[in-house]
Formats: sequence, C-alpha cells, structure tokens
Amino acid sequence: MKNIILSLAASVLFFSACNSGTKSADRPSVEHTATPSTDTAASKAGQPGLTKIIDVYLQMKNALTRDNDKDAAAAGLNLARAISSIEATSLPPGQAKVFSDIADDVKEHAEHIGANAGNIKHQREHFETLSQDIYDLVKAGVSTSTKLYFDHCPMYNNNKGANWLSETKKISNPYLGQSMPDCGTVKEELNN
Amino acid sequence: MKKASVILLIVLVLIQFILPVRRNHSGQANPQDISRVYPVPEKIQRLLNNACYDCHSNNTRYPWYANLQPASWWIDSHIKKGKAALNFNEFGRYPPRRRQSKLKSIASSIEDGTMPLASYTLIHESARLSKADKEVIKDWIDQTWDSLSQNK
Repeated sequence: MKNIILSLAASVLFFSACNSGTKSADRPSVEHTATPSTDTAASKAGQPGLTKIIDVYLQMKNALTRDNDKDAAAAGLNLARAISSIEATSLPPGQAKVFSDIADDVKEHAEHIGANAGNIKHQREHFETLSQDIYDLVKAGVSTSTKLYFDHCPMYNNNKGANWLSETKKISNPYLGQSMPDCGTVKEELNN
Repeated sequence: MKKASVILLIVLVLIQFILPVRRNHSGQANPQDISRVYPVPEKIQRLLNNACYDCHSNNTRYPWYANLQPASWWIDSHIKKGKAALNFNEFGRYPPRRRQSKLKSIASSIEDGTMPLASYTLIHESARLSKADKEVIKDWIDQTWDSLSQNK
C-alpha cells in the first residue's frame, strides 16, 4: 500500500513539475509595438512617468555601488514595470520615436537585472547597456528631477570601460562597487 | 512492489495522451534570419545551427524521445523560453538597439558557459562549444557589433 501511494505521489510530482508553461499564452518574441492610449489627457502624464524611470535607474545604480544585488534586482523589476506603463503616444512626437526605440531594450535589461539577484556580475553587464539607453533617453529631451552627470570608468570589463549616469558630482562607481568606488571621471553634465 | 510498478506504468502511458505535442517547424524560408541581415561565415552558421538553433529558431530538430512525455513537455518549455529570449530566425525584425543588446548577451552567455544549456550539451555532443569555437563566435560578434555601431 505504501509503495502504491509513494509511486503515485512520485508520478504526480514528476509530471506536474514538467508541466510548466504549456497552457500559458505565447509570449511574442518579435518587435514590440506600444498600444495606443485612449486617454488623450494622458499626454502630460508621460513626463512624470519618464522622470520616474530616471529615478529608479539611479536607485539601481546606487544599489550596485553598494554591491547590493538584491536591491539592484528590486530596482530592475520596478524599472521594467515603470517603463511598461508609459504609452509612447502620450509623449511629444520628437520624444515618442526615440522612446519606442529605447523602451523595449530598457525593459529587457531591467528584467534581466531583476532576475539576477545573486549574480551581480551579470547585473552589471546589463547595467552597462541600460546606462547607454537611459543616457540616450535623457539626450532626447526627457526632463529629469535632478542634474545628471555622465561618468566613465576606464577599467571595467578588462579595461574596455563603461559609462553610467549619476545624480552626484562625486564619483561612486557601480561597476566596481566597494572595491574601487572612486574610479572614474565625469564626462558630461546634463541639465534637463 | 509489483502493484506500484504497474501503477507507474499506467501513469506513464496515460500522460502520453494528455497534451498534444507542439512542433516548432516553420516550414518556410526565413527572410529575417540573422544571416540575411549580417554576413555570417559558414563556420559560424554551423556552430550556431548545432549549438543554438534548436531552441532559438523557428525550426527544431526533434530527437525520437521528443515524442514521449514527459520529455516532450520539457523540450517544449525550453523552446518556448529560448525563442522568447532570442530567435535567430527573427533577428531581422529586432530594432538596431535590441540587436546590439542581443549580440552582447550571446557573447557573454557563451563566455560564462550558461549557454548552450548543460542539459542540452550533455545529450547533444555536436552542440558542445570548444574554447576555440567560443573565441571564433565572440570575434564574429565583436565585428558585427562594431559594424552596427558605425551604422547608427
């Protein structure tokens, strides 16, 4: 009797463990298009949303500076959520195009960072491309709640170097973290 | 003991009927494949086909045991997740920024060994990437990435 129950339990466990995702809807893997906003009054709502993106990015940056992968992951998930909630059509035309181009990429990197608590090395790899995306967003005219500094670290990634955005003039390196927090220079000041 | 084995056997037989096996076959030429968008040397294409395309394209070469459950579920799950993360056959549809990000991810995944999946290379010997293979792929990615950046 015990054997029957055991083998039944094992079978159920076995094929329920393997039965993941076959019923869920397919996630599209091709180009993502923003759904049109039905609320035209949301045109002004776009700006605060974009400012929030910069703020969450800065939180992520600060977490990486402290070598805190868990906080970075949390910020990643927040960022993915924040950017998904913005409708490109609610933005002024000049920004809308740039935004659509960048948003997908930002979302993916944010999600990856969110999924990699425990692997700060991998988070930092995605953070590099994410930083470039955010920089492009700011250069496209997104207003920010604070003055930003575009910083460069020459040593990261076998001296290939990488950039990031900071709200402080003082250098706080998110790529090298506490091992070398002062490494880097300010390349550009952004006044939005 | 005999009764337990019989029950297990019945369960195994039953699950073969439960869910239909989906087939990842597009049966069409792939105009958006990465090779249509960038030059892909034959050697690289071969490596990609053997090590990557089963999960990261619209055409999977299924082994015989893919007809059996629970292997079929497991394989389907890999293919679904793989295609969602990266689909070489649809690379042409990715906007430029996304292409660059993907190239970077490919390089870092094979460098740190997270791709191809260990469970896959265990069974598929031809999917194993030697150190030299990885270097060759990474060099190709670097070149393609550079040419992308210049065309921005």
